[in-house]
Amino acid sequence: MAASTPEARSTTHGGGWRVAWLFVLPALLVFALFYLWPAINTIVSSLFTWSILRPWQAHDPATWRYAGLDNYVAVLTEARFWNAALNTLIWLVVFPLLATFLSLLIALLIWEIGRGARLFRTIFVLPMTVSLTAAGVLWALVFNPQFGVLSAALGAVGLSGAEVDVGPLHVRLGDWLSNPGSLALGPVTINLVNLTAILPAVWALTGFGVISLTAGLTAISPELIEAATVEGAGRYRIARDVVIPQLRGALIIVGVVFVIYALRTFDVVWVTTQGGPGTDSEVIAVLLWRKALAFFDTPAAGEATAIAVLLSAVMVIGAYPYLRSLLREAPG
Amino acid sequence: MSRARSIGSTWWMYGLLTVLAALWMVPVVTVIMSAVRPLGEIRDGWWNLAGATFTLDNFFGAWNEADLGSKALNSLIITSFSVVATVAIGALASYAFVRLRFHGRGLIYFLLISTMIVPVQIILIPLLPWFRTLGFAEGTWQPFMGMVLVHAAFGLGWAVFMMGSFMASVPVELTEAGQIDGAGHFDVFRRIVLPLALPGIVSFAIIDFVFVWNDLLLGLTLLDADHAPLTVGIANLQSAHLAQQDVISAGALLAILPPLALFVALNRYYVRGLFSGGVK
Repeated sequence: MAASTPEARSTTHGGGWRVAWLFVLPALLVFALFYLWPAINTIVSSLFTWSILRPWQAHDPATWRYAGLDNYVAVLTEARFWNAALNTLIWLVVFPLLATFLSLLIALLIWEIGRGARLFRTIFVLPMTVSLTAAGVLWALVFNPQFGVLSAALGAVGLSGAEVDVGPLHVRLGDWLSNPGSLALGPVTINLVNLTAILPAVWALTGFGVISLTAGLTAISPELIEAATVEGAGRYRIARDVVIPQLRGALIIVGVVFVIYALRTFDVVWVTTQGGPGTDSEVIAVLLWRKALAFFDTPAAGEATAIAVLLSAVMVIGAYPYLRSLLREAPG
Repeated sequence: MSRARSIGSTWWMYGLLTVLAALWMVPVVTVIMSAVRPLGEIRDGWWNLAGATFTLDNFFGAWNEADLGSKALNSLIITSFSVVATVAIGALASYAFVRLRFHGRGLIYFLLISTMIVPVQIILIPLLPWFRTLGFAEGTWQPFMGMVLVHAAFGLGWAVFMMGSFMASVPVELTEAGQIDGAGHFDVFRRIVLPLALPGIVSFAIIDFVFVWNDLLLGLTLLDADHAPLTVGIANLQSAHLAQQDVISAGALLAILPPLALFVALNRYYVRGLFSGGVK
């Protein structure tokens, strides 16, 4: 990359910084007005008590009801927040692992088979274009307890409405969206309805992993695999010891993108369960939205902005290495 | 395919892939069958084909009675203007980042790129009072305009990242030659860089189209019923807890088709765009 340092590529012939600013100005204006200012507004207004109907306004001191860190204290001492944090944590663990595992499995299988690869790849990649909203609608039909295909399949084998208890795990087959059971882990109870909400996202976003990992696979030199074959390594060993290590970079990107998605997930949960039953599948993004917009009478928008700040802080700290790598790839 | 293998030794792979592919198709087949059959028949199981009737009534119901037709138009307005605005201002900015030097360049670039990681929630809540202050909360076109500007602001980081990387691959010698011939930066941008970076710009435009078209959260938060996009219309139908799976299925298909058609028609560009980095 030595030849393409910013200095080498940036030229200012016949212009100077005035011209440069003309090119950047439209973007800068839009960004400042509709991203930067709202973001600053979120951070500042998280220190005030306000509601959407009577908002905190920078230009109007009459709207300033200073609360210090009260919003943060209120959020962090509220059981409902920690319930949402737990559900988001379930997303953060289950979604990236499941989606990355399936992406890898499918990408490897498609890469191995040769014939018919294109058809299979199309089937797994097409859901990428489907909005998570529509994906939620589709899966809600599949999960429907009366006429969904899943319940019908259970009915066909005589397991309709069956309850299964295995140690701390309690599963109710059939009521996928209302009450599919729970897993009791000491003081923490994991509601399985979160898994119901995660599946549509896995279905829709695995295609991204398949595309990315396929790109990584085609970049592996055939000599490497031939050498391993000559040494007598079987297909499984080649995959484990040669191919997967070569995919490390692609796997990290896929994993990070999935984690970023999981942390801010809203659409699928909103459409499939609305966070319910009760708050069993309420994730941080849904709680934030409700605090700001669903309880119009209570002035909880300040708490909602506090959650937004906390969520963003976790994201920026957690994804900082990824952000650095994006900046390294920076053009120019 | 670098390694062709005989079908004989890979049969179990085909088997596993076929099972997975079948699972992947279940929701697609479900929604199509639910959209083209009357509600009464769906309730007996859409796979039950004895005496099946097929109809397009659900699509008319979704378009007219459920008012998804006007929502689809809203989506089209928001999405097309957002993509055009983001591509236009993003392409100009990309050129500056790739070929020009100016004060604040590093800081601005850093801020734009961080929007690819910072969740949209960081801007979401104050936008609503901000829209009222700016006069975007009411009117026939004002809410659309506000929404387009928010989508443009949110898409800029991605725009500069993607289109910038394509513009950076335009040989410096070419742009410098243009400048030696006396052309200003705008001419070089328009006549040399833009045409050469066109595939990258198309890739970005498609990804941005799919992203904006599929947005739920911004539309749900910032727009009233008259301006709400298709995703909001469908989400509202879904949460109404009424037995209208027929209409919802038809509506979901309407929402799925435009990005899908774009993907199928311009598959190459879409995939290339995704390779150029992470995804929103």
